[in-house]
Amino acid sequence: MTTTTAPPELESQPGRLNRLREALAIVFSSRTAVVGLAIVIFWLAIGVISLFWTPYPPNAQLFDPNLPPSAVNVMGTDHLGRDTWSRIMAGTQVVLLKTRLATDPRVVIPGGVAIWGVIGAVLVGGLLGVNAGYRGGAADQVIMQVLDAFIAFPVIVLYLVIVTALGRGDVIVILAITVTGAPGVARLVRGLTMDIKTHDYIRAAETRGESKWYVMLWETLPNARGPILVDAMLRVGYAIFAIGTLGFLGLGLPPPDPDWGSMVNDARKYIYSNPLAILWPSLAIATLVIGVNLFADGLREEITRYQR
Amino acid sequence: MARFFLRNLFSMFITMLLVSAVLFFLLEVAGGDVTVRLLGVFATPAQRDSLRRQLGLDAPAWQRYLDWLAGSDWRAQQMTPFPLVTMPNPQTGEPGWWAVVDDTLTRWRLADGELIAMQRTAEGEETTTPAGDVWTIDDAGNAIFWGVDVNNNLVKWVRGSDVDVLVLSKAGVRSETGGPQQYIPLRKGILRGDAGMSLQTNRPVSSTVFSRAANSLILAGAAFLLVMPLALVFGVLAGVNEGKLLDRIITITGLGFTATPEFVIGVFLILIFGIWLRWLPATAVFLTGDAIFRDPKILVLPVLTLMAAEFGYVSRITRASMAEVMQSPYIRAAFIKGVPRRRVIFRHALRNALLAPITVIMLQINWLIGGVIVVEVLFGIPGLGAYIYDAATFGDFNAVAAAAMLTVFVAVLTRLIGDMLYTYLNPRIRFA
Repeated sequence: MTTTTAPPELESQPGRLNRLREALAIVFSSRTAVVGLAIVIFWLAIGVISLFWTPYPPNAQLFDPNLPPSAVNVMGTDHLGRDTWSRIMAGTQVVLLKTRLATDPRVVIPGGVAIWGVIGAVLVGGLLGVNAGYRGGAADQVIMQVLDAFIAFPVIVLYLVIVTALGRGDVIVILAITVTGAPGVARLVRGLTMDIKTHDYIRAAETRGESKWYVMLWETLPNARGPILVDAMLRVGYAIFAIGTLGFLGLGLPPPDPDWGSMVNDARKYIYSNPLAILWPSLAIATLVIGVNLFADGLREEITRYQR
Repeated sequence: MARFFLRNLFSMFITMLLVSAVLFFLLEVAGGDVTVRLLGVFATPAQRDSLRRQLGLDAPAWQRYLDWLAGSDWRAQQMTPFPLVTMPNPQTGEPGWWAVVDDTLTRWRLADGELIAMQRTAEGEETTTPAGDVWTIDDAGNAIFWGVDVNNNLVKWVRGSDVDVLVLSKAGVRSETGGPQQYIPLRKGILRGDAGMSLQTNRPVSSTVFSRAANSLILAGAAFLLVMPLALVFGVLAGVNEGKLLDRIITITGLGFTATPEFVIGVFLILIFGIWLRWLPATAVFLTGDAIFRDPKILVLPVLTLMAAEFGYVSRITRASMAEVMQSPYIRAAFIKGVPRRRVIFRHALRNALLAPITVIMLQINWLIGGVIVVEVLFGIPGLGAYIYDAATFGDFNAVAAAAMLTVFVAVLTRLIGDMLYTYLNPRIRFA
């Protein structure tokens, strides 16, 4: 318990601003990070706009099927006569902005499937990792051995197994991303914890008589947040990648809401008559994943340089 | 070294055991009702119940896990005095279960309430005779008989029982009276190379999975062998020229390839070479089993796709490793000493720099397997990946479990080899 002379608001306000400015300075000192951020913001903006406005309703079959690009349909239409650009715009939503909890399209929560999947992976992996690293001994061995079993799975095979067992849906995909991501996070957090454990403030907390959970959650994890955050950013990239792949395999997010991977899968059947229809969603996935990756990569390089 | 090896081997064993448990319980327990897939949604509860018993699904989950893992014939053998053996079917070559009665292979079936024994002679012909009095009296006073039926189950028949059994046959669901009361599906277990029957094709999983894996191996192997030298060379080039234009180009290209999903790369390649230029076939058409060798052209685009996916990863690791080595004091010392640049790179830096990528590549095989699945589905190559995919979309548990076990085994094994290789290549560990 520290005693502060100034009221907390007065002291924390400029501090927080400073920290924000510092964080922004890190981002802007790396050209890679800026380019990545710009791409991500572009898609986020498209997604937010699509919540309120798309050229045509994304699920309405208003035109002839498989039209080439024209002034009316900027990117042409798909095999059911839906406007491709509207669907591409709306496709950002399921990835980044909303999750459908049930088959009823009105039951949604904010935050896309990729975001929730990574949050799940970080929560589960973080808890397991900090326990393994902090407790050590038998707990460490058991946790790591079980996680090794999950790491041994090729990721897509694990996705396929989960989808086979549990069926399809946004929540299942979130679960799949969590299960496949958590072991990697746990390994990272375990390593960080074992390093942090050697510091004096941990000893101090233990001597104070704090419980193990307090030390793990309030002393250890906050000090590991930098690398965890960068890792989480990278994982958002993997998650978008994975959602795209699952969609392409026809096992991803359920219709009718547009999903880029599923759009590629649908357009694949008409590749000879309408080759451009497959190009647009492919480009969308590729640019978004590359954007997230560039951002995370640039951030990581800057942070490691900053820490050195 | 030997101790290290044994410890790794043990850890691999535990991992595989855990993997098998994860797979089994995820698929079997959480997977929902198989009978819905086999009988459709309109079957009656009685029909479902009967089928569940015929598939041995009434046994507890741990029992079925052990059966799946190590076989059920141990358990079944205690029920019958006749030794249970497997014999290949003369037509299909697939193994079937028989009981050995007086040196003759025998199965039983029920016709009009009477048991009929079917014997297979040494020449491979089948004869049928009435089974005669094979019944034994159990504690409850019923006449029972445990025998092998034609569907590779050990079955308990109860004489004069009036319980209906609904048998799934090619023509539909047929009802049989006085029939079998309890089934133990006979299987050798995945540890002994029997992964059970595919629910989709009704053929043994083991007989298809390996030929499928061979196709995948050719695909992945070709991509691996072609991309390795390329990625290593470019990675080294980038690492040596860290920060220069060449490095930038290689790094950005690599990042682009890694960050782009395999199916997107594949789609681009199909669009460019298959549709606009029409140089190469856009899909693989497998009319014969050896189509890969007859028409290697169908492999070009799939291999290119896999190469692109791997290139970024390998070149990136190589670059990082090379850049790190070039910064190390001993290389600086060599430069200061006046050793020519070429000599420093080839004699001093390269050996150390390649240590990391070669082993890390081995650790990343399961990443490659993921790419193989996508590429096989995209190009229609009948490999292991496409097999898992088909099985997964159908909900064919046995096939998914077996194929997944195989991929995990390959991944774990290569990881073990990678670990060993690293230990061997790194003199600091080797001589420690």
